[in-house]
Amino acid sequence: MTAPIDAPFPSDAWFSELVLRAVADQAAVKRLGIAELRFGIEIVDAGEHTRLFGLVLDGYEVDSVGEVAEAEFAPEVVVSGSIDSWRQMVAAIEEHGGADTAHTLNSLSIFGEPLVVRADDAMGHDKFFRFMGTLQAVFDAAGSPATVLAPS
Amino acid sequence: MGSTASRRGYTMALGLDFGYLERSARGEFDLGWLRDTNSEWGVRAKPGKTGLTLRDIAIGSYGEVPDHAPLRTMAPRGSDIDPDVPDMGYTINDKSEVWSDNLLDLYEEAVSRQWSATRDIPWGDLPELDPDIEHAMCQLATVLSEVEMVASDFPAKWLWRINHDYVEAKMFLCTQVMDEARHTEVFRKRALANGGGLGRASAVVERFLQLILDAESYDEGSALMHLLGEGIVLSLFRAGEAIAPSPVEQQIFRLCMQDEARHVAYGTMHLRYRLERDPLMAEDFHAYLDKGEEIIAMIFATPEIAEPTAILAAGGIEQAAAVGAVAGNVMRNQVIGEYLKRCQHAGLDRRGRLHLPDILLEGIPGAKVEAVA
Repeated sequence: MTAPIDAPFPSDAWFSELVLRAVADQAAVKRLGIAELRFGIEIVDAGEHTRLFGLVLDGYEVDSVGEVAEAEFAPEVVVSGSIDSWRQMVAAIEEHGGADTAHTLNSLSIFGEPLVVRADDAMGHDKFFRFMGTLQAVFDAAGSPATVLAPS
Repeated sequence: MGSTASRRGYTMALGLDFGYLERSARGEFDLGWLRDTNSEWGVRAKPGKTGLTLRDIAIGSYGEVPDHAPLRTMAPRGSDIDPDVPDMGYTINDKSEVWSDNLLDLYEEAVSRQWSATRDIPWGDLPELDPDIEHAMCQLATVLSEVEMVASDFPAKWLWRINHDYVEAKMFLCTQVMDEARHTEVFRKRALANGGGLGRASAVVERFLQLILDAESYDEGSALMHLLGEGIVLSLFRAGEAIAPSPVEQQIFRLCMQDEARHVAYGTMHLRYRLERDPLMAEDFHAYLDKGEEIIAMIFATPEIAEPTAILAAGGIEQAAAVGAVAGNVMRNQVIGEYLKRCQHAGLDRRGRLHLPDILLEGIPGAKVEAVA
């Protein structure tokens, strides 16, 4: 198991380190396949103040663009939730070395709570599902390097 | 020409010039293919950062896809074609019948994101499950193994009828054939991997599959399968990932989810492409979907689907009635809501036209007006 990311969540530094871990194993990244997505992570604090962090999947590359203004970043899909929900997800990933069944991006958003998926159109919304393996592998890197597929 | 063949008592069907064998033996090359060519000399497609993609080679005249195919031949689009090529009898000869604006990218994505049901699922990690949970998982795997193969059969049935000028569409459909074969494989393997075995196949499910397979046109079958059927199965895969009894099933559902979403993306954008070029076809598509929307009711009204899903969501039979009802409501909203949004994105407004019983439309914005019970 990998040590937790040494930066506060959420922060530009935390997402930068997350992406560094996720792309460290290039063979695993290649096996996930190409992806094209502008993905927003919206974090709502107790005072209803929202912060948006951006990830860009571009071919085999994953980039963290840090905290962004939604209008400028123009995400195709955004997953939104309270800071407590996000922290619980990250804690579960750190504890298990990857998301357990109750704490995947999909399982946390399928019921519309604690996370909500929103997009301007159906194609953006469905991209969340098309690239779910890559997105989950990126977040799982908070607990271990990205290896979404079983070892050969 | 043909003298050797006729002396030996058989005929040649391809029209070969056997005199060429003697001329070439004397060193007399034809070189017509070299000197009389109209192809674009000097075209150099440049690879991008992921390699040389279909989009990279869609350049010059090679990137021009005709709205109507001038010939019905297997000759590669953009090649010099002999005037006496045979007619292959294609019946789909208009671009709008199969095309979508995201086709080239979806093909590359499909090829790049292939996976193996043998290698990429950690089968050895399957835990021993409570017998009711194992039964439920196996029943769901049975249904999914059953329904997924139609999404191979349908494109395979139509592939040979699609003009070769739309080869990118044919290639994408080939990836779908492989994807769905793998889904059939992975769910069959799951049913047989942990002591449960295959469950029950119901006539209701088979009737919907027959509707897709017997579609009278590619338009009809694509609307029923890519847009409607696969959209619903995508929701089932999402649910499966969330209620998976172990990380093994979770991995299965997540990988299948990605493939299915790609097919839905093609179906949605293909319908949009079709309707943008021929808006009058909207009523035809409404009629196709009128026929097929009962499948939405099927997943909630078929015990072989609804009950194992509820049991997996609840973690057992005892809790399934209460938890299953709540989960079923959420899923109903999700399935119908997402379907309506995809239709809307494609340019086909199904709000108020859904052919579903009122009980399934409660609380879904825009779904209930003029609904057919």
